[in-house]
Amino acid sequence: MSARSLLIALRRVGASLARYISEVQAARARYRARFATREERGVNLLREWLSPKQRAQFDAKRYFDVIGCDSKKRYRIHYGHTTNVHEMGHDDLPSVGWCFGPQGQLVVGDVMLAQKIALETYEYSALAVANRFTIRFSSRSLR
Amino acid sequence: MATQIVMDHTGDTRHYFDATDREAVAEAEERFRQLTGAGFTAAVRTASGDAMVTRSFNPTAEETLFFSRLVGG
Repeated sequence: MSARSLLIALRRVGASLARYISEVQAARARYRARFATREERGVNLLREWLSPKQRAQFDAKRYFDVIGCDSKKRYRIHYGHTTNVHEMGHDDLPSVGWCFGPQGQLVVGDVMLAQKIALETYEYSALAVANRFTIRFSSRSLR
Repeated sequence: MATQIVMDHTGDTRHYFDATDREAVAEAEERFRQLTGAGFTAAVRTASGDAMVTRSFNPTAEETLFFSRLVGG
Protein backbone atom coordinates (compact mmCIF):
# COMPACT_ATOMS: atom_id res chain seq x y z
CA MET A 1 0.00 0.00 0.00
CA SER A 2 1.42 3.35 -1.03
CA ALA A 3 1.72 6.24 1.35
CA ARG A 4 -1.00 8.08 -0.60
CA SER A 5 -3.46 5.17 -0.26
CA LEU A 6 -2.72 4.95 3.43
CA LEU A 7 -3.36 8.67 3.84
CA ILE A 8 -6.71 8.40 2.03
CA ALA A 9 -7.73 5.44 4.19
CA LEU A 10 -6.79 7.29 7.36
CA ARG A 11 -8.80 10.33 6.28
CA ARG A 12 -11.84 8.14 5.67
CA VAL A 13 -11.50 6.53 9.07
CA GLY A 14 -11.11 9.97 10.63
CA ALA A 15 -14.20 11.28 8.85
CA SER A 16 -16.25 8.23 9.93
CA LEU A 17 -15.07 8.66 13.49
CA ALA A 18 -15.97 12.36 13.49
CA ARG A 19 -19.44 11.55 12.09
CA TYR A 20 -19.95 8.85 14.74
CA ILE A 21 -18.91 11.21 17.57
CA SER A 22 -21.26 13.87 16.22
CA GLU A 23 -24.17 11.40 16.13
CA VAL A 24 -23.47 10.26 19.69
CA GLN A 25 -23.37 13.87 20.88
CA ALA A 26 -26.68 14.64 19.13
CA ALA A 27 -28.29 11.54 20.68
CA ARG A 28 -27.07 12.60 24.14
CA ALA A 29 -28.48 16.09 23.63
CA ARG A 30 -31.84 14.63 22.57
CA TYR A 31 -31.89 12.36 25.63
CA ARG A 32 -31.08 15.24 27.97
CA ALA A 33 -33.78 17.41 26.41
CA ARG A 34 -36.36 14.64 26.81
CA PHE A 35 -35.30 14.01 30.42
CA ALA A 36 -35.59 17.71 31.25
CA THR A 37 -39.03 17.82 29.66
CA ARG A 38 -40.23 14.84 31.71
CA GLU A 39 -38.92 16.37 34.92
CA GLU A 40 -40.49 19.71 34.04
CA ARG A 41 -43.85 18.09 33.34
CA GLY A 42 -43.76 16.50 36.77
CA VAL A 43 -42.88 19.76 38.49
CA ASN A 44 -45.57 21.64 36.54
CA LEU A 45 -48.20 19.11 37.56
CA LEU A 46 -47.06 19.30 41.19
CA ARG A 47 -47.24 23.10 41.17
CA GLU A 48 -50.77 22.99 39.73
CA TRP A 49 -51.95 20.85 42.64
CA LEU A 50 -50.16 22.69 45.45
CA SER A 51 -52.05 25.23 47.52
CA PRO A 52 -50.90 28.83 46.94
CA LYS A 53 -48.98 28.74 50.22
CA GLN A 54 -47.29 25.43 49.39
CA ARG A 55 -46.46 26.66 45.88
CA ALA A 56 -44.79 29.79 47.22
CA GLN A 57 -42.83 27.70 49.72
CA PHE A 58 -41.78 25.21 47.03
CA ASP A 59 -40.72 27.96 44.62
CA ALA A 60 -38.63 29.61 47.29
CA LYS A 61 -37.14 26.59 49.07
CA ARG A 62 -37.71 23.46 46.94
CA TYR A 63 -39.81 21.91 49.71
CA PHE A 64 -43.32 22.41 51.06
CA ASP A 65 -45.20 21.51 54.22
CA VAL A 66 -48.36 19.45 54.48
CA ILE A 67 -50.59 18.70 57.46
CA GLY A 68 -51.47 15.05 58.01
CA CYS A 69 -55.24 14.58 57.87
CA ASP A 70 -55.30 12.09 60.78
CA SER A 71 -52.66 13.22 63.27
CA LYS A 72 -52.56 16.91 62.26
CA LYS A 73 -48.77 16.61 62.34
CA ARG A 74 -46.72 18.69 59.93
CA TYR A 75 -44.58 16.99 57.28
CA ARG A 76 -42.01 18.61 55.04
CA ILE A 77 -41.74 17.14 51.56
CA HIS A 78 -38.34 17.89 50.07
CA TYR A 79 -37.47 17.74 46.37
CA GLY A 80 -36.57 14.10 45.75
CA HIS A 81 -37.73 10.54 45.15
CA THR A 82 -36.76 8.87 48.40
CA THR A 83 -36.14 9.69 52.06
CA ASN A 84 -37.57 13.13 51.32
CA VAL A 85 -40.53 13.23 53.74
CA HIS A 86 -39.68 14.58 57.17
CA GLU A 87 -42.05 14.78 60.09
CA MET A 88 -41.51 18.16 61.72
CA GLY A 89 -41.42 18.81 65.43
CA HIS A 90 -42.74 21.83 67.27
CA ASP A 91 -39.24 23.32 67.13
CA ASP A 92 -39.42 23.32 63.30
CA LEU A 93 -36.78 20.58 63.20
CA PRO A 94 -37.33 17.19 61.58
CA SER A 95 -38.02 14.54 64.19
CA VAL A 96 -38.28 11.47 61.96
CA GLY A 97 -38.24 10.58 58.28
CA TRP A 98 -40.71 8.54 56.26
CA CYS A 99 -39.84 6.79 53.02
CA PHE A 100 -42.68 5.92 50.68
CA GLY A 101 -43.92 6.73 47.22
CA PRO A 102 -45.95 5.49 44.31
CA GLN A 103 -44.84 2.27 42.65
CA GLY A 104 -42.92 2.50 39.38
CA GLN A 105 -40.47 4.83 37.73
CA LEU A 106 -42.00 8.26 38.19
CA VAL A 107 -40.47 11.70 37.94
CA VAL A 108 -39.74 13.67 41.11
CA GLY A 109 -42.72 16.04 40.84
CA ASP A 110 -45.14 13.12 40.53
CA VAL A 111 -43.65 11.36 43.55
CA MET A 112 -43.91 14.51 45.67
CA LEU A 113 -47.50 15.10 44.57
CA ALA A 114 -48.52 11.54 45.43
CA GLN A 115 -46.85 11.94 48.85
CA LYS A 116 -48.71 15.20 49.45
CA ILE A 117 -52.12 13.77 48.51
CA ALA A 118 -51.50 10.64 50.57
CA LEU A 119 -50.57 12.57 53.73
CA GLU A 120 -53.42 15.04 53.33
CA THR A 121 -56.11 12.46 52.62
CA TYR A 122 -55.10 9.07 54.06
CA GLU A 123 -52.12 9.73 56.31
CA TYR A 124 -52.19 6.64 58.52
CA SER A 125 -52.66 4.23 55.62
CA ALA A 126 -49.77 5.85 53.76
CA LEU A 127 -47.48 5.68 56.80
CA ALA A 128 -48.48 2.05 57.34
CA VAL A 129 -46.59 1.11 54.17
CA ALA A 130 -43.78 3.62 54.69
CA ASN A 131 -40.36 2.91 56.14
CA ARG A 132 -39.43 5.08 59.06
CA PHE A 133 -35.89 6.41 59.31
CA THR A 134 -33.87 8.51 61.68
CA ILE A 135 -32.85 11.95 60.54
CA ARG A 136 -29.07 12.05 60.63
CA PHE A 137 -28.47 15.46 59.09
CA SER A 138 -27.40 18.44 61.09
CA SER A 139 -30.33 20.58 62.08
CA ARG A 140 -28.76 23.60 60.43
CA SER A 141 -28.74 21.98 56.97
CA LEU A 142 -32.46 21.31 57.10
CA ARG A 143 -33.71 24.70 58.07
CA MET B 1 -63.08 19.37 28.62
CA ALA B 2 -62.61 17.04 31.55
CA THR B 3 -59.17 15.50 32.00
CA GLN B 4 -57.89 12.26 33.44
CA ILE B 5 -54.20 12.56 34.33
CA VAL B 6 -52.27 9.36 34.81
CA MET B 7 -48.81 9.64 36.35
CA ASP B 8 -46.23 7.59 34.48
CA HIS B 9 -42.55 7.52 33.51
CA THR B 10 -43.10 10.29 30.95
CA GLY B 11 -44.36 12.66 33.66
CA ASP B 12 -48.01 12.04 32.95
CA THR B 13 -50.43 10.99 30.24
CA ARG B 14 -53.59 13.04 29.81
CA HIS B 15 -56.92 11.78 28.51
CA TYR B 16 -59.39 14.49 27.59
CA PHE B 17 -63.11 13.89 27.22
CA ASP B 18 -66.25 15.88 26.69
CA ALA B 19 -68.50 15.37 29.71
CA THR B 20 -71.58 15.83 27.49
CA ASP B 21 -70.55 13.04 25.10
CA ARG B 22 -72.02 9.75 26.35
CA GLU B 23 -69.54 7.57 24.51
CA ALA B 24 -66.56 9.58 25.74
CA VAL B 25 -67.90 9.48 29.31
CA ALA B 26 -68.35 5.71 29.13
CA GLU B 27 -64.78 5.35 27.90
CA ALA B 28 -63.51 7.59 30.70
CA GLU B 29 -65.51 5.61 33.26
CA GLU B 30 -64.02 2.38 31.99
CA ARG B 31 -60.53 3.88 32.27
CA PHE B 32 -61.33 4.96 35.84
CA ARG B 33 -62.54 1.45 36.68
CA GLN B 34 -59.49 -0.23 35.17
CA LEU B 35 -56.97 2.07 36.84
CA THR B 36 -58.52 1.95 40.30
CA GLY B 37 -58.97 -1.80 39.88
CA ALA B 38 -55.24 -2.06 39.22
CA GLY B 39 -54.50 -0.28 42.53
CA PHE B 40 -54.24 3.31 41.34
CA THR B 41 -55.48 6.05 43.64
CA ALA B 42 -57.81 8.58 42.04
CA ALA B 43 -57.86 12.13 43.36
CA VAL B 44 -59.82 15.21 42.46
CA ARG B 45 -59.63 18.79 43.63
CA THR B 46 -62.45 20.33 45.61
CA ALA B 47 -63.78 23.82 44.93
CA SER B 48 -61.43 25.12 47.65
CA GLY B 49 -58.45 23.57 45.86
CA ASP B 50 -57.86 20.74 48.32
CA ALA B 51 -57.12 17.26 47.01
CA MET B 52 -59.67 14.57 47.76
CA VAL B 53 -59.41 10.85 47.08
CA THR B 54 -62.39 9.47 45.20
CA ARG B 55 -63.49 5.89 44.73
CA SER B 56 -66.24 6.52 42.22
CA PHE B 57 -66.15 8.05 38.78
CA ASN B 58 -67.35 11.63 38.60
CA PRO B 59 -67.84 12.82 35.01
CA THR B 60 -68.22 16.41 36.16
CA ALA B 61 -64.79 16.53 37.82
CA GLU B 62 -62.60 18.89 35.84
CA GLU B 63 -59.44 16.91 36.60
CA THR B 64 -58.96 13.45 38.01
CA LEU B 65 -55.42 12.45 38.91
CA PHE B 66 -54.28 8.83 39.11
CA PHE B 67 -51.15 7.54 40.78
CA SER B 68 -49.98 4.01 41.42
CA ARG B 69 -50.15 2.14 44.73
CA LEU B 70 -47.91 3.48 47.49
CA VAL B 71 -44.99 1.36 48.62
CA GLY B 72 -42.31 1.80 51.25
CA GLY B 73 -38.97 3.06 49.97
